Amino acid sequence: MADNQPRILGMLNKNRMHHCTRPFDDFAARLQRGCLDTFSGGSVPQEVTACLEGEGRFSELALELFELQFGHVAPYRRISEARDLTPSRVRSWRELPAVPTTAFKTIEFTSLPPALRTTIFQSSGSTQQRPSRHIHNAASLALYECALRAWFAVHLLPETSTAGAAARPSSPRLRFLALTPEPRAVPHSSLVHMFATVMREWGSPASSFLGRVDAHRTWRLETERALESLAAAAGAAEPVCVLGTAFGLVQLLEALDQVAGRIQLAPGSRVLETGGYKGRSRALPRAELYAWIGRALGVPPSHIVSEYGMCELSSQAYDLVISKDLRHPEPDSATRPPSGRQFRFPPWARALVISPETGREVGVGEAGLLRVVDLANVWSVLAVQTEDLVRRQAQGFEYLSRAQASEWRGCSWMSP
Amino acid sequence: MRLPDYFLADLPPEAALTPALVTDACLALKANRQLYLAERSSAELVGVLSALAQNWLDPTDSFRRLALEADPAATGFPPEVLAAGLDAFFEALSSEALEALILQDLGQLAQLDRLTPVELPGLSPRLAMARGPALLVHVAAGNLPAPALSSLVLGLLVRSAQFMKCASGSSLLPRLFAHSLHEVEPKLGACLEIAEWPGGTAALDGALLAQADCVTATGEDATLSALRAQLPVGVRFLSYGHRVSFGYVAQESLNPHGLPKTVAAAAQDVVAWNQRGCLSPQVFYVETGGRNSPEQFAQALATELEACERTQPRGPVSLEAAAAIATRRTFYEVRAAHSCDTCLWSSPGSTAWTVVYENEPRFMPSCANRFIYVKAVPDLEHALKGAEAIQAIVTTVGLAAQGQKAQELAWRLARWGVPRICPLGRMQKPPLTWRHDGRPSLGDLVTWSDWER
Repeated sequence: MADNQPRILGMLNKNRMHHCTRPFDDFAARLQRGCLDTFSGGSVPQEVTACLEGEGRFSELALELFELQFGHVAPYRRISEARDLTPSRVRSWRELPAVPTTAFKTIEFTSLPPALRTTIFQSSGSTQQRPSRHIHNAASLALYECALRAWFAVHLLPETSTAGAAARPSSPRLRFLALTPEPRAVPHSSLVHMFATVMREWGSPASSFLGRVDAHRTWRLETERALESLAAAAGAAEPVCVLGTAFGLVQLLEALDQVAGRIQLAPGSRVLETGGYKGRSRALPRAELYAWIGRALGVPPSHIVSEYGMCELSSQAYDLVISKDLRHPEPDSATRPPSGRQFRFPPWARALVISPETGREVGVGEAGLLRVVDLANVWSVLAVQTEDLVRRQAQGFEYLSRAQASEWRGCSWMSP
Repeated sequence: MRLPDYFLADLPPEAALTPALVTDACLALKANRQLYLAERSSAELVGVLSALAQNWLDPTDSFRRLALEADPAATGFPPEVLAAGLDAFFEALSSEALEALILQDLGQLAQLDRLTPVELPGLSPRLAMARGPALLVHVAAGNLPAPALSSLVLGLLVRSAQFMKCASGSSLLPRLFAHSLHEVEPKLGACLEIAEWPGGTAALDGALLAQADCVTATGEDATLSALRAQLPVGVRFLSYGHRVSFGYVAQESLNPHGLPKTVAAAAQDVVAWNQRGCLSPQVFYVETGGRNSPEQFAQALATELEACERTQPRGPVSLEAAAAIATRRTFYEVRAAHSCDTCLWSSPGSTAWTVVYENEPRFMPSCANRFIYVKAVPDLEHALKGAEAIQAIVTTVGLAAQGQKAQELAWRLARWGVPRICPLGRMQKPPLTWRHDGRPSLGDLVTWSDWER
């Protein structure tokens, strides 16, 4: 595949559209003013929910953005035309042509001219694979940060909602411990950028990144430092927010097991878990991971939140809102496995669960491939088709597995 | 209809197997073999097997009907696909073919019956006899029934007691075959055992392997390595791991007269067993320079697959399988929108069939269930270069070519290491004499006794 790649890109260059960011900036400003900014308090204001939850307003915004992107993101236009889904034909956000995540590996979906590009987020994964890329500039990064802060706070920082909008800009209050390398070491990670953003906004000076990148470019936890930091927080009886991938958490828990230790984190401590294992550690069923976190760190499932995100998107989904009462519940309910949870995107992004067999949306309770329409993906493409199998639920979706594509990835046909 | 409880696989699901039960079954099999099978002649067994095959080809046969009327979830295939596959298998199981197999692999028809003179120029007088293992254990992967049935036939020919362990949920067809044998010859049926348990059930695997004299196994490479590691030294292990196949279409087969026939044959290879076997093509390499282009071949193949959907519908597949197809389709759709070197045809509103045309010779593993690549190449050398990565695991090449050119292509493919070259349209219909992955299937089962006079 390597040798026909330049040919494809060459074709794109010939037909490159005139870059124009003004209408995108305007759209983003309206989105930010209209919805995102009102989230500063860490709860979803009624008016935003009302405004975006109906089909009408969301669809209007989605179709407006689609028309913009159709006009300015050449490869998106091609895909839309090939499917005969042009702005004049699409009537609802549900019909928008979605770009598969694999396409982000070989094709640049952006309306940003090269001179304005400041940051490229890339998917993680094995080094043989070409990563997906999401190109940002200052404005799109600002929107990304704004979007992630709002929905993060709703789920993980109930304190901010009680404080109200007046709390912003908030004073440092929570010790964040991220089990990932720091942003400088992994500038292309949207996840680490997200962690850095919430730390900047709500972190105490004792917050830190506890991972590093090894010689094989694999993320490793600096276990000694991680255990020390957790012990220090526990010693000070100060609640912490642990941010990590499931892989990083397993590394932490294994390290703790090795020293036969257990750290009882202070009440109000919480854990954000994301990102799966990607074959780098033994995969654990989620209930088992949560039980382990409970045993080793004293954080009950009611304070462990799972996040679903990817570099191709600007918004994230979470599966739990931490209770305003931050005290950890009694041990019995604490050991309950995390069943029945549903991932939910913020009001400016919506999930569709598509039957792989028919290409149509499935009913509640049925499984299919997740498609996301994300209005915060202003400068790229708003409709993204993932390879994740999920079950549609009344309020959101339940994650099942990654569609089995390993064997064709295995032959590294995408590699440069 | 409920089958009588002759075999472990007939027991209701709540009846738990134990290692002791497995051991007992193995010991009973060995005893029954001594009583009922060890002294049978090849001629008799050939007669029984070929008559059994005739029964299975009869549309009114009760076991065939049970197979075709079973829930497709239990057989893995809709009835039309299963019927075609069973027909291909049992048509190949004639008395002539069975005798030809013995002759091919062992030299003489009586070789399994008694010490038989071996006469070769320059060799001193010698008599020889071939014997099968006392207990032959088969560990069968679940994807297709034909290899499992074929294993049972070979085991009977060499007079082995046989224990077939099937993957979970895949024992129905071996069971029906065993019952059909039991019906015509209960004593031969008593030398067979069919059971089913989840892979990696160490206690049951251990009990079974401890009794085996020879083990055949099909499946993933990792499963095979794990099995091999558990076997006592001295127990022969015949493993058939992951293999792939492709087709090659010479430009002469694309002329207006020949194209429909070539395309129909290609479609049959994709449709057979829903493209789920090692012998199913994953890619068709098609030569450029003919009266029709490889792209036109691909388009015609798409039309043909749509037509096949009416006669042999693919039927439902698992969510994961559908997701794999859908995911790949969207990728090629994007690629096709950006490059005229890629084209995609697919069944509307379902994942029933997909044809991806690419002007790029690198071999691509298909996701099966009638998802086929058509790749344009100027000649065979380009195809072989594109398939280099899978050279060691190619098992069949279906060839559409005529006369002298066919000979040259076959010669080149054989030198490249392809174990089986067959006409396009017959990839999933290997003859009984097929050397499985290049090895003599019957010959590999036997041990020889030589008397040098």
